[in-house]
Amino acid sequence: MPEQLWFTKILNHLFAGPVAALLAALHVAPKYPGAPIPNSLAMEILVFLFLLAMFLAVRATLSVDRPNGLQHTFEAVENFVQSQSNEIIGHHSEGYTAFLTALGLFILCCNLLGIVPSFESPTALPVVPLGCAIAAFVYYHVQGFKHAGIGYVKHFAGPMWALAPLMFPIEIISHIARVLSLTIRLFANMYAGDLVTLVFFSLVPIGFPVVFMGLHIFVSLLQTYIFVLLATVYLQGAVADEH
Amino acid sequence: MPDTLPNDRGDRDEDRNKDNFWVQAARYSELAVILPAALVAGWLLGAALDRWLHTTWLYLAGIFLGIIAGFVELIRTVMRDTK
Repeated sequence: MPEQLWFTKILNHLFAGPVAALLAALHVAPKYPGAPIPNSLAMEILVFLFLLAMFLAVRATLSVDRPNGLQHTFEAVENFVQSQSNEIIGHHSEGYTAFLTALGLFILCCNLLGIVPSFESPTALPVVPLGCAIAAFVYYHVQGFKHAGIGYVKHFAGPMWALAPLMFPIEIISHIARVLSLTIRLFANMYAGDLVTLVFFSLVPIGFPVVFMGLHIFVSLLQTYIFVLLATVYLQGAVADEH
Repeated sequence: MPDTLPNDRGDRDEDRNKDNFWVQAARYSELAVILPAALVAGWLLGAALDRWLHTTWLYLAGIFLGIIAGFVELIRTVMRDTK
């Protein structure tokens, strides 16, 4: 049996049977049939529920006359992402703000979860950043096709028709490399942050780890920003108007 | 039919990003991992094609194209801001 966090234990206690049945139907054999839900998935579900509760709370108390602190916070986050995407993509960027904000908030909460005692950062495992990177990859290609139709394929053909057969596989590899690049950067930074905090906590358990937890918060914010910024840059490449 | 095709990371809209420090910083932070990432992506793609087509050499072609793709991306990023 793997080492489980208390929230993972609750989820496995409640849903181990249905999840194991679902995996069996998909011909996937879980490593631990008694506990098929790993810590990373449990932490993702926790972040999802937290964000859902936050959004519902904002929606329930939405007021134009007297906005509360929570509404101010979410408006500030949304405005920040919108101004950033407007600067990079251009005037037609409003439609992408919802996805970019949701992606950013999810990654930020996942990153910061490691600071809360009895939880761990799901982004410190490679599968979670990979999932976020694949979501960004699929989203910007879908938006590219929605924007330019089948003509979006021309983006992969390089600058000259004659070079298209060579450029096509190179561009495809280049786009897949973006997914790996986003994954490795986020995973490596969060894993290293957790490890450094843990090492110094084991050496000097009082006082000193606070410095590294502060560093972890800074790295969490910075990596979230870079992830969303690069997703916006890729989106700009996919939906930019031709000149 | 035009003899050139648009490129998503080509000349268009690059001026918009040129002045944004954070966009440049994010792009340059990508350079550290883009070469190995492109190589691994090429290898994965080639190996997948090998399994699908029952061949034994496509993974090598994938690695080779991955190296080229990494360098193309690297040169594009550097050229974008030095023009």
